[in-house]
Order: sequence, then C-alpha cells, then structure tokens
Amino acid sequence: MKDRSQDAGERRLVEAAQKDPGRFGELYENNFERVYAYIARRVGNREEAQDLTAEVFHQALANLARYEWRGLPFAAWLLRIASNAIADSWKSKAREQGNPSSDELLSHHIDIDDVEQRAKLFRLVTTLPNDQRRVIEMRFAQEKSIREIAKELGRTGGAVKQLQFRGLETLRGQLVASSRKKTAAKSGVRPASKSGGQNG
Amino acid sequence: MANQSLSEQLDKIVEALIARPRGTVPGRGPKVGASLRPLAKIAAQLRDLPGEHFKARLKLDLERRTSMASKPVTAKEVRQTAVPYICVKDAAAAIDFYKKVFGATEVMRLVGPDKKIGHAEIRIGNSSMYLSDEFPDHGALSPETLGGSPVRMSLSVDDVDAVAARAVAAGAKEVRPIEDQFYGERSGLFADPFGYMWNISTLKEELSGAEMQKRMDALMKQGASSTVPSAVKPIPEGFHTLTQYLAVKGAATLIDFFKQAFGAVEAFRVPRPGTQLIMHAQLRIRDSILELADATEEFGARTVANILHVDDVEAVYQRALKAGGTSLSTPHEQPYGDFEAGVKDPAGNQWYLTAIRKTGHKTEDTGTILPHLSLVRAAEFIEFTKRAFGAEVAFMHDAPDGKVLHARLRIGDSILAVGEASDERAALPAALHMYVPNVDAVYAAAVREGVTVLRPLRDEPYGDRAATLQDAFGNWWFPSTHVKDVQF
Repeated sequence: MKDRSQDAGERRLVEAAQKDPGRFGELYENNFERVYAYIARRVGNREEAQDLTAEVFHQALANLARYEWRGLPFAAWLLRIASNAIADSWKSKAREQGNPSSDELLSHHIDIDDVEQRAKLFRLVTTLPNDQRRVIEMRFAQEKSIREIAKELGRTGGAVKQLQFRGLETLRGQLVASSRKKTAAKSGVRPASKSGGQNG
Repeated sequence: MANQSLSEQLDKIVEALIARPRGTVPGRGPKVGASLRPLAKIAAQLRDLPGEHFKARLKLDLERRTSMASKPVTAKEVRQTAVPYICVKDAAAAIDFYKKVFGATEVMRLVGPDKKIGHAEIRIGNSSMYLSDEFPDHGALSPETLGGSPVRMSLSVDDVDAVAARAVAAGAKEVRPIEDQFYGERSGLFADPFGYMWNISTLKEELSGAEMQKRMDALMKQGASSTVPSAVKPIPEGFHTLTQYLAVKGAATLIDFFKQAFGAVEAFRVPRPGTQLIMHAQLRIRDSILELADATEEFGARTVANILHVDDVEAVYQRALKAGGTSLSTPHEQPYGDFEAGVKDPAGNQWYLTAIRKTGHKTEDTGTILPHLSLVRAAEFIEFTKRAFGAEVAFMHDAPDGKVLHARLRIGDSILAVGEASDERAALPAALHMYVPNVDAVYAAAVREGVTVLRPLRDEPYGDRAATLQDAFGNWWFPSTHVKDVQF
C-alpha cells in the first residue's frame, strides 16, 4: 500500500503529534476518508457513521501517547479502533433489544483494498469541478432529489442529471487513471493555433 | 443526444439506489446497461459519501480539544478579552439600530447629566461591543466628525441576506453587494447610519487557511492571465467572433480543393510532428477565415455545412466539380429569390454556393463563409446560445409546426444560420472557433449552461487562452482569447 519513504513520513507525523497534540490535524486529514469509508460500509445510517467516526478520532487523540510504531500504517490502528467501536455499538444495541450479542455479527475482517478505494473516491469528489461536485454532494451525501437540486442551483432537471452523469464520469476516469500508470498525454487538434501567420 | 439519454438512465439507477434502505441487497432495480455499469458501481459507493461539512466540523472539534487539553479554562477567560469600543454621534440611536438590525441586546448604559451616554455595553450574538457618545474634550470623536472610520466590523450571521435586507431597510447603505466569496463565506459590505462599515457574512464552507490561500492563488493567476496587455489583440487581426473549424481526413487534399474551387489563399499550415498530417492550417476566402486540421483521436472527423457567398454560382460550382467535389444540387433559383447550388467537398462537408438576389440578407453582415447548423431541437439550441453566448436572433422563419426552418443568430460580430434537422436534412452540428475579449467569462457562462468540457480552459503554448466544449446539440465550441503573441 505504501512505500518506505511514506512510512517514514507518517512515523514522523505520529511522533510529532505524540509530542504536540496540536499536530494531530495532519494525521486526521490523511486518514479521515479511510475511517469514514470503513465505518459507513458497516453501519446502517449516516448519523451513526458520523458519531462513530468522531468517536474513533477522539479516542485516537486521547490514546495517541500509548500508540507504538510497529511498522504498520497508522490507518491500521485507526481501523482497529473503528472496528471495536462498531462492535461496542452493536453489542449495546443488541442488549437494548434484549438479544444476546452474536459472535457472527462481530466477526468482520478489514478489506483494506475496499477501504482504500472508497477513501480515494471520497477524496476525488472534493476535486471535481465545482458544479459537478455540488450536484454529487447534494445527490449522495444529502440525498436530495433532482428537483430539489435543480431549484437550489437554478438549473433545469436535465442539466442537473447531465452534471450528475459528468461528475460520475469524471470520477470513473480519475479512478481508472490513478489505478493505471498515466500514459503520456495524447496530442490533439490545436483548434486555435496561430503559428507563423499573422503573428509570426 | 446519446449523452442525454444516458444521463436519464443513470439517474434512474441513482434514484433506485437512494430509495433503497442502506445495507440491503439490490433488488429489482432498473436494468443497467454495460456502458453504465462502472458508473452505477461508483454511485453505489457514493451512497456512503460523508456530508459536506462533517469532516471540517469534526476537525474543528478535535482542534478545540487539543488546545483545551493543554490548559484548563477558567471563568475569567469566558469574558471577552478584546472588545471593540466605538464612538458615535448619537449613541442611543445607534443602540436602537443595532438592536433592530443585528438583534443586539443591551447589557448596560451610563448616562451623564447632559443625557449623553458615557459608556454602554451591548452584545451581538456571542460578542460584546462598547459604545459612547462623542466627547471632543476627551478626544472621543465619531466617524461623522472625523470623516469616516478606518476600522471595519465583521459580523457573522446565519442568514446574511436577511440581515443585510434589514440593515438597508433601517438606513444602512450597501457598499459592496452580497456575493459568495472564494474564502467560503457569503458576504457583503454595508455602511451603517453612524459611519461604521460592517462586513456581514454567513459561513458556507469551512476551509483551512491553506485551502483559502490555494483558491486565492488560483484566482490571482486567472486574473493575471485574463488581463490582456494592451499591445496584444484579444481577437487577432482578420478573425471574426466565429470561424468554422474543419476536422477532416485528408486536410492537405482539402486545402488544394479550396484553393482550386473557391479561390482560397493559404495563410499557413503546421504539420503534426513526425507525420505528413496537418495539425493546424489557416485559409482565407475573401473576407472570411477557414481553419482546418487532420482529425485526431480526440477530435474525430466530422462533416459540417457552410453557406459560401459567391458572385458567380455557376462558375464556382463547375470549378468545385472539376476540383473533386460532388454535386448536391445544380445551380437553381430558390423560391425566396437567391441563386444557389450545392456541392460536397472531398471530405464530405456541404457547401451551399449562394448569390444573394432578392432576400434582404447582406454578405457584409455574414462574411463570405456562413456556418450552417442543422440541428435536432434547433429552437432549444437558439435559447442555449442566448444564455451561454449572448446570441441575438437576427432573422427567424418558423415552420407551421413551430420548428425552426431557418434562423440567423448574431454572436459578437458573426452570424450563424440554424435550421431544424429533418428527414431530408441530416443533423450537421458545427465546430466553431470563437474569439472573445474575455474567454474566462464566456467559459464560465457556457459551463453554467451545462456544456461538456472536452478540454478545460488553459493557456495554450501558441498564445491563446482556450477551451474545447461540446454543447447538448453536438456542436463543438473553441472559445479563445489571444493573450500573448508567440514567435515561431
């Protein structure tokens, strides 16, 4: 997943944050999407995913001094906290409903590739052109209807659907591009070249 | 058009996805075609997309934690450390104004024997503000006496538009209208009746300082590159707003055809490095420019139609056939009075050779070459060009069924001919090179109207700032501003 220089960089970040909790922000920025993606995949709704994500980072911050570097990515530690937090939440829910906690429910492994892929996707959304990003966020994170989005953005429903389509297309393109080594950019028609001619 | 129906199909999939309770196995959703499957997969993953502000909120929360962890908060620290203390000509009136407009509450006031307010404290939201009347003997002077204040107040509210409206209704003046700002706020600047300026804002996006800096740098860069030095003409000599750009197979052959048939003069051609192909060429036919290139993977060959104004239709028609063109229609008088013939050039583009006789059209308006667009939903296209490019309808001839038979649109100093595609007239969208004084504004307007960006706006090595767009009707647009003269 990571090369050695990234490991070293991350280790420095962790050590800096252990000395000065004010530096925790960088670790948070680097790992937020992973933790959120992992939790959201496993719990029923957005509120719960947000509560648990907040809990994970608060716990991580509180226990950072006790963290020991063992060569695993920092994310692995965060995902273990997340995994425990989810298990606790399931247990307490099961207790509330009078059901004994089921071991089956609690056995879950971490599919790191899936988490990475989703985290990457969430980060890519923030890099979309503004109008596409707005539509994607409203449609998926806020679960708004095309009509609501059209009204809010002052666009037609057709235009919003187009933006949704293009947003997903852009994301797909970027996922493909980042998974493959980028080949040299193709050269194309230069629609406005003026070599030589009146300016030359 | 294919795009349109794909976006509809995709939305049906998204709709079904959102309607489904989380964590359930997909049931009988809409059928997903192979081309949409990868997008449907991404859409399914996006169901878990975190809310827009959640990440920033949680970060703030954690930061608060870390700063608090280092030092316990005492009651003394709850009291605001730094408080603005303003002097006004009529403090009582000012307190009333701030109450009414900003929802301030009065904490206390000390009134002297002369009924003047020596000191008053108000709270606006979670902040304190002190104020007093003028006391010239003690150096306490108001902006009205001093002729303005260099200090500006910054006010964060939940609904900037509502607060600003109240302020203006109560006598404040708008200095800078409310707008969405790059730093994540929606804000405007207002002068209150007592000489103080208030920057009133609502937070829209929580951004870090670094993110704001990044946006500001981008804006500055954009601003710098769109400021055209006066020596550079944003629309190069000889160009009108619109120029048809031909992407063809066999550009070199086609140039020869244009020379022989239409008397075109070649200005220059740029070969594609390492090939016999033409990357870009520019021709002149009387007062019009025609640009062309060999098609690439990015811009595949397409055929377009143009009206070519000529003096002698018969002669040009014969020359065109001799030079390798094929006949679309022999020279004939049109019911509306013009004399016309149709030829297809060796690349398949259609040319309507026209001598204007009885119609009121003028070549001075259109130039020698007049791009002719046959489009499905031509009427919608016309509305689109009005919104995106400020087009005006110069001429309109509707069919009885309301379809556009022949319209002429004015965009900048150019005219476009537009008609509805039909069984007899196949859809032929155009590829239009468009020179404008400020391409950033045109690009923004077009993007707002939902065009597809094939190539985003950027400074090209040949000295233009240009983009490539495709509208919903299949036309390509190459909006450009010439920003730098480049020597080759």
